[in-house]
Amino acid sequence: MAHTPFQVEILTPEGSVFDDKVEMVSTRTTVGEIGILANHTPLLAMLEPTELRLYVGEGEPLRFAQSEGYLQVGGNHAMLLVAEIHRPEELDAGALRERLSELDRELASAEPDSERHQLALGEQRRTQAFLRVAERTSGTR
Amino acid sequence: MPSQRDVRNRIASVQNIRTITRAMEMVAAARLRRAEQRIEALRPYAHALRRLTRQAAEAAGAVPSLPILTPHDSVQRVALLLIAGDRGLAGAFNSQIVRAGVAAGREHEAEGIQTLYFAAGRRPASSLSFRGLEPAAAFTGFSDRPSFVDARRIAERLMAAYVDGEVDRVDVFYNGYISPITQVVRRERILPVHEAAVIAGVGTEHDTLEEALSGEHKPGPKPLVEYEPDPDEILGRLVPDYVEVSIFRALLESTASEHGARMTAMRNASENAAVLIEDLTLEMNRARQAAITQEIMEVVAGAEGLG
Repeated sequence: MAHTPFQVEILTPEGSVFDDKVEMVSTRTTVGEIGILANHTPLLAMLEPTELRLYVGEGEPLRFAQSEGYLQVGGNHAMLLVAEIHRPEELDAGALRERLSELDRELASAEPDSERHQLALGEQRRTQAFLRVAERTSGTR
Repeated sequence: MPSQRDVRNRIASVQNIRTITRAMEMVAAARLRRAEQRIEALRPYAHALRRLTRQAAEAAGAVPSLPILTPHDSVQRVALLLIAGDRGLAGAFNSQIVRAGVAAGREHEAEGIQTLYFAAGRRPASSLSFRGLEPAAAFTGFSDRPSFVDARRIAERLMAAYVDGEVDRVDVFYNGYISPITQVVRRERILPVHEAAVIAGVGTEHDTLEEALSGEHKPGPKPLVEYEPDPDEILGRLVPDYVEVSIFRALLESTASEHGARMTAMRNASENAAVLIEDLTLEMNRARQAAITQEIMEVVAGAEGLG
């Protein structure tokens, strides 16, 4: 069944990536997976690195690998602010795996409670999420 | 007196140089346009981030005491981030940053404060090493076209240094972009983050932060908004994001300044080459005339000898 379309905008520091009508947005907040349909209640949420899916109509959704960010819903308009966003085909699984092993070393050398450790953990989560998107894409083709 | 052939060779080489400087000027102009567009592209994101910050801050009532918002008790070590380019041939673009940074470091030294240098760009990194001021970290290879990921890497390194007590303050030096011919050295305090700068306007009538925060703010009933997670926690992440965006903006402005400075420097070089070619052409004509005069004199002298 088709849902009512509503306006969704994705902003990154390097410009607007998407600004169009979609039927549903599927992403993940710090609390868990979330799907946004038209006329959702006003919401301000913190997003985790994950696969972002935009259901534009019938058929396959548009898929992206998204970093941390924010989701603001209000007035039948959703805005996603994300630091980094990639189409799955732009991701290089090999480079991501390499980065993950670098991060393992970084985590081993950093003090467990330090900010450096925290930041490396954050990048590890992000890289793992991107890798999952990359692997899913190559797996289905 | 140089021979005609010497002068002709010099003219040819100056002409070659002019061809190169003209091409560099053109390339810099094209890149400058792109760099300006990227500064524009950041604006909507930065505005939206500030709007969210204010919304969350109003909902939270108070800003949580985050480590990067808390000034250290005493300032003993200061980090200076010098942002400049990977390449030279851009007039004073690189040297004025290094000069300003090193001067600031000397001032700190006089006050008994240690300085830790960080460099973004190959030029400031090598200039610092050359002066024996080895940077604590150098970030290079992106000054032509910095990405947000580059900015985040720098911001995270500096935030970790601040929170882990490696330094007590972080200042950044970069070329602020005003126009293709004007760039000014700017010094900005990055850490500790000034609370008012992040959520300017909360609880006050006047906005302390530039254009980004003006307008938009409408008093009146707020719609009921759901927060996931609590506004406090959201703020905890928005503040570091603010630091990342500040550094990204500095990188983008520096890049625009670099292309502007290079364009101007190369235009001047091309103009100087044109003047030089004119002078050399004059010199060559003079040499040729002298040679002709010489020959005539010899012919005349020979004819006289026969008569």
